[in-house]
Amino acid sequence: MVLRSVSLPGIGTKYELKTDKGDTIAVFFMKTGNIQVYTLPKECQAQCVAELSMSEARRLGSILTGAVMDVDQESVEIAFSALSDLRISMQTYIIPKNLVGHSLEETRIRAKTGVTIIAISRKQRNVINPPPSFLFESGDVALVIGETDQLRSFEREFIGE
Amino acid sequence: MEGIVLALLVCLVLACVTKYLGVPSIPFYIIAGIALGKSGLNLVSADSTSQFFTDLGLIFLLFFMGLELNPSRIIENRTQFLRSGLIDLNVNLFIGFIAAYIFGFTLTESLVVGVAFFVSSTAMTLTSLIENRKLMMHESETIVWMMVFEDLVLIIALAFLARGDSNPLFLFLKVILMFLFFAIIGKYGKGIIKGILKRDDDLPVLFTFSAVLAIAFFSQSIGVPDTLMVIAFGAALAASNATAFEVHAKPFKDVFLVIFFVFFGISVDLSGGISIIAAVVISVLALASKFISGLIIGLRIHGRIMSGIEIGVNTIGRGEFSIALATIFGSAAVSTMIAVVVITTSIIGAFLARYSDVIKAKCMEIS
Repeated sequence: MVLRSVSLPGIGTKYELKTDKGDTIAVFFMKTGNIQVYTLPKECQAQCVAELSMSEARRLGSILTGAVMDVDQESVEIAFSALSDLRISMQTYIIPKNLVGHSLEETRIRAKTGVTIIAISRKQRNVINPPPSFLFESGDVALVIGETDQLRSFEREFIGE
Repeated sequence: MEGIVLALLVCLVLACVTKYLGVPSIPFYIIAGIALGKSGLNLVSADSTSQFFTDLGLIFLLFFMGLELNPSRIIENRTQFLRSGLIDLNVNLFIGFIAAYIFGFTLTESLVVGVAFFVSSTAMTLTSLIENRKLMMHESETIVWMMVFEDLVLIIALAFLARGDSNPLFLFLKVILMFLFFAIIGKYGKGIIKGILKRDDDLPVLFTFSAVLAIAFFSQSIGVPDTLMVIAFGAALAASNATAFEVHAKPFKDVFLVIFFVFFGISVDLSGGISIIAAVVISVLALASKFISGLIIGLRIHGRIMSGIEIGVNTIGRGEFSIALATIFGSAAVSTMIAVVVITTSIIGAFLARYSDVIKAKCMEIS
């Protein structure tokens, strides 16, 4: 894999990645704020291109890092460039029936699995940092943060997958 | 004042139409100016207010150009930059100069036309590369660096035009000193400048506008043309705070530059200018010269005729900088000639760039 980056006056920054199989991918972060992604397959003359907005590019980025992409269950893995060994995942889950009517304290989610529920999305309103007395309702979507292993253990224990 | 409002409203309509059709707007602003001005309906004429706005347009255009001139980046890319740039310069300056001289212009006038032939429109070229999705082509990098080279030549041309009776070497020395002075301020005042530009109130915009204007005004007192001074100011800031300045200066540039183009059109006097035959000949030569320089650069640097066609068609459009030269030089006949070149090359160039794949396919068939 060969990666090179150049800054082009008036245009923006170009990143060109040549894969081991000989395909080329070029990404341009343009001054307009949009991003153009070009792909050029090996031994091919014609390139293909897509123009993305910033939020679309972020979305594509999280797909490429291998996160699950589902409308209801979506996950993002965060890695900080300065702390390369610190990897945190965030994932959303629909609260299953067996948790409905229980409070956050009763379920002992953090004690059992290590993950933390940092937000609940409900039809009428969102709750950020729900208190221990928070009662789950049917249809709640929880945003859960933790290491990948902890999230898997949360899934086994509470979501039943 | 009504004149400016009328001109701006016409340009607003034109901007909507050209954006919708995906064609460059600069030639249409000039055509609108010609239609409104003394060669057309004679509805709008230049006055001291419009003069102030067009001056601002020119100053912000050149300040922006300076912001893109990052000396260390240029030095990093010097080989590619010099090879393509010198071919571009020699071919186009030569053809433009000879053509103008044959049409009876003086030596100085012919030189101005030659430089106007040489400087492509950076705005149109870069927009066309982005819109036509050609950034990945190897030729694109060459084209981008050609634009930077053209900017540098333009600066030299501006210095010679504006020097008056002072020694050009002495003038350059003054500009370089001012550049270093601004660069030192930019370097050591980086934190303070950044702090101002980062704010989300009215301060960043006010700061940018008054800094550029103050520098343009201050330049007169030390005998340096304001055009060179704002370029030096922009280039000195390029290494430290370029992006933030670009964001805050862009609205000024966008508006004042439109007024600059339309009033350039208004000032064009077709009656005393050049004949239709001369206009056609000069347009054909302007199209051909960039095509030839493109072919040579394509063969020399990329080793392919097809690259040459691509470089040629993408650099055909002349625009803002050619007009800037005409305005600063201020001769009616030269302005008319450059207006014709800008209008024809920018419209035809935009279409050639968009359909370059078709052109290349046709050339393949023939060969």
